[in-house]
Amino acid sequence: MSLLEITDLHVQYRTERAVGNALSGLNLTIEKGEALGLVGETGAGKTTTALSILNLLPSAGHVISGDVKYEDRSVFEMSEKELLDLRGDKIAMIFQNPLTSLNPVFTIGEQISMVIRAHEKVSRKEALERSKQLLEQVGIAGSRIHDYPSQLSGGMRQRVGIAASLACNPELLIADEPTTALDVTIQAQILELMKNLQTQYSTSLMMITHNLGIIAELCEKVAVMYAGNIIEYGTVREVFKYPLHPYTQGLINAIPNLEGQRDRLVAIPGVIASSENLPEGCPFHPRCEHCSEICRAERPALIKVAENHYVACHERSGELL
Amino acid sequence: MLHAVDDVSFEVYPGETLGLVGESGCGKSTVGNVLMRLLPRTSGELIFNGQDVFTANKTDSFNIRKSMQIIFQDPYSSLNPRKTIKSILSEAYEIHKLAKGAELDKAINELCDMVGIARSLLNRYPHELDGGMRQVVGIARALSLKPSFVVCDEPVSSLDVSVQAKIINLLIDMQKKMDLSYLFISHDLSVVRHISDRIAVMYLGQIVEISDTATIFSNTMHPYSIALLSAVPRVDVDTKVRRILLKGDVPSPMNPKPGCRFAPRCWMAQDSCYDNTPELTEVAPGHCVACHFARQSRAKIKDAAVRSLSDN
Amino acid sequence: MNSKLIFKRMLHSKFFMIGFITCMLIVIFAVVGPSFVVYDAEKNSLTEQFLKPEWLSNGWQGHILGTDELGRDEFTRLVVGARYSLAIALVVTVCSAVLGTILGMIAGYLGGAADAIIMRMCDVFLSIPNLILSIAIIAVLGTSTTNLIIVLIISSWVQYCKLSRNNVLVTKKMEFVSASKCLGATNSHIIFKEIFPNITTQLIILVSQQFGNVILVEAALSFMNLGISPPTPSWGNMIAGGRTYLTTYPWLCVVPGMALMITVLAFNFLGDGVRDVLDPKRT
Repeated sequence: MSLLEITDLHVQYRTERAVGNALSGLNLTIEKGEALGLVGETGAGKTTTALSILNLLPSAGHVISGDVKYEDRSVFEMSEKELLDLRGDKIAMIFQNPLTSLNPVFTIGEQISMVIRAHEKVSRKEALERSKQLLEQVGIAGSRIHDYPSQLSGGMRQRVGIAASLACNPELLIADEPTTALDVTIQAQILELMKNLQTQYSTSLMMITHNLGIIAELCEKVAVMYAGNIIEYGTVREVFKYPLHPYTQGLINAIPNLEGQRDRLVAIPGVIASSENLPEGCPFHPRCEHCSEICRAERPALIKVAENHYVACHERSGELL
Repeated sequence: MLHAVDDVSFEVYPGETLGLVGESGCGKSTVGNVLMRLLPRTSGELIFNGQDVFTANKTDSFNIRKSMQIIFQDPYSSLNPRKTIKSILSEAYEIHKLAKGAELDKAINELCDMVGIARSLLNRYPHELDGGMRQVVGIARALSLKPSFVVCDEPVSSLDVSVQAKIINLLIDMQKKMDLSYLFISHDLSVVRHISDRIAVMYLGQIVEISDTATIFSNTMHPYSIALLSAVPRVDVDTKVRRILLKGDVPSPMNPKPGCRFAPRCWMAQDSCYDNTPELTEVAPGHCVACHFARQSRAKIKDAAVRSLSDN
Repeated sequence: MNSKLIFKRMLHSKFFMIGFITCMLIVIFAVVGPSFVVYDAEKNSLTEQFLKPEWLSNGWQGHILGTDELGRDEFTRLVVGARYSLAIALVVTVCSAVLGTILGMIAGYLGGAADAIIMRMCDVFLSIPNLILSIAIIAVLGTSTTNLIIVLIISSWVQYCKLSRNNVLVTKKMEFVSASKCLGATNSHIIFKEIFPNITTQLIILVSQQFGNVILVEAALSFMNLGISPPTPSWGNMIAGGRTYLTTYPWLCVVPGMALMITVLAFNFLGDGVRDVLDPKRT
């Protein structure tokens, strides 16, 4: 049994202006102890996926069909009480913006204690003591427990966010662009910390980011998202070394290198498909140079092309079958 | 007293790109804004084509404006949401009374063809364009007066990877076509490496190392530049990186302490670093480093580096 | 925001539709009405004192809403009074919006001493209750329509000033303002061509909300005989005149009172509706 299983999930955002298909038939599983990277550009549906897992979609978001099963229980069928138990206790989330994800009027110790006390029956004092230990684990001196978020730097706040998410020993940690707002040297610290914690507690990790480098360093598996669907999935080594989907290839080619020749960058032509106006067939086809008749008509399914490597592309999967 | 930028000197040569890298709060954007006179300077001078910009009279200053332009980071706030693309692009011509009527239309059409804005977009509003296209409009606006020097203040930081490549290519093409000099400000080392001829690394309001691009990446000497370079996550799964983790956070630039500003976070700091401020000194032709122990740094990397994440 | 979306929102906003339609009816009533009435609004006719409203039993020729203590037709006075009220409200709203916005933009854009002086002026006007200020000014200047307008402008420009200053403070930090500066734009170009278009939405909302308020204050002043003085009709002085006969001839108070209430409500509805329609944050 997988820890988390998403099957054929369709999510729509309905606003006054338009209807957007944020997710269209997403399939994804996360095993126990696995670190999965979810990569994609703006509007690919990364955050929507995370929010669906926690059944926390904003009011404009509607699950059209499909299911998210956590340990074989659908999160959409859970009661309010079960959901509260799921969020924070079993699945914890780290947010992108360390500035706004902490409440400015409570000390960091109080905020972590609140998480603990929401899920476990412990005294205030005990919770505070545990918060202190957690803070020390993420590299913040225990003496700072009575500090307010405004007294901490961005990197430290993100550490507090991580400490709070670890408070109840979650089985799955969802990190939504946790280092995007941070500087490179601070990002390196946080990544190192997350890697250590993940090996220490064998927590499953879902790392949402647009930065392929972070995934290469932190994750075993990677799922590349485009226009609300996974278009390539496999081990990081496989996917990054032998990318098959034209979009994945384009993404990797578009990143300037730190080593070697400074060649002209290869940009992917066209613009990211808009969720409000998805093209027929393969959503990537208007930008794809290998596009053929079938690509315009039919949406390709995710097909196994090698051990630990799946791709959703008519061209590619045809070649290798 | 806030010393956002302290004692920074550098030169940009015609047709060259100088990359300015550093983390948030290091003052790299302040440098750009002071050059464009969007922020006041406390002291120092800026010589543009042999003319002191800060002391120039009103007419000269107005003309210098034409030759120095800036491209901003945020393509959402850098375009006036209430104006059409056409009126955004015609602003420069109107202010400098360069063209009117049919002439203006012709100039704008030429500008659009040059940077690749479809003419059908001219009557649209900024919010109808995607981030990349908005940034192209920002570039077109900066180039409309045919400047010779352009400050690029994090022009691709808020864009997606696939769009970022397009903008970088455009900037390089425009440089060749119009013989532009760029001051390219960014926190992303790989982007800066790609576009710059020379690179200056800033830390807490000071330049700590400046050299040509190849040297910065193959023979970095300042301990901060070394750590910064090692901190970038690599996509290449086969490259093993020796990572140097810096202690703590970037301190506030308020009332900096004497001595080397990097010393509290430095992995090779010694007692003397806290007392003596290192000067930017030339260690090789065109390669300047502000560190007392610059020559020893590369030998010490092995001891300081932690096992890389990808070694696990 | 495109005009299509705005139109769609207009149709969907109940506040806007109710407010807009009622306001339009009131405006038409006030503009066209006076040329159709048969009686003179200011001429006494002591033989016809305190006639009851005869509604439409005599058609438009009769005293639809009855007559007052001097035998003047109540309906005629209502229509003519409406014209005065709306005209004054229009002049006051336009003048105070222009005055307040210009001062507010100057304060917000220039900052420093200009900002300090203008903001302290606002504080002074905000700290004195409007009615007391108005009474004091009219006591000095004397009662006349011009003075009434001046008083109303003085008591309402502060809102526009504060609003536009705050919006300018936000807008001037945007990068497109810096971009304009780099192109060599002058301050007046930046203020009027770059910043002003970005604060118009907020201003339109405030104008539509303030309009009803001005009518109400004008009525209050006229009620105290500080505004439009009899025999010229105004809803305020009509209510004041009818007050004595409230128990015996209640329509003298009720009719202009109802008219006032409906008008103010309609403009408040319109204001709320406009806010809903133009709110850029709504998705």
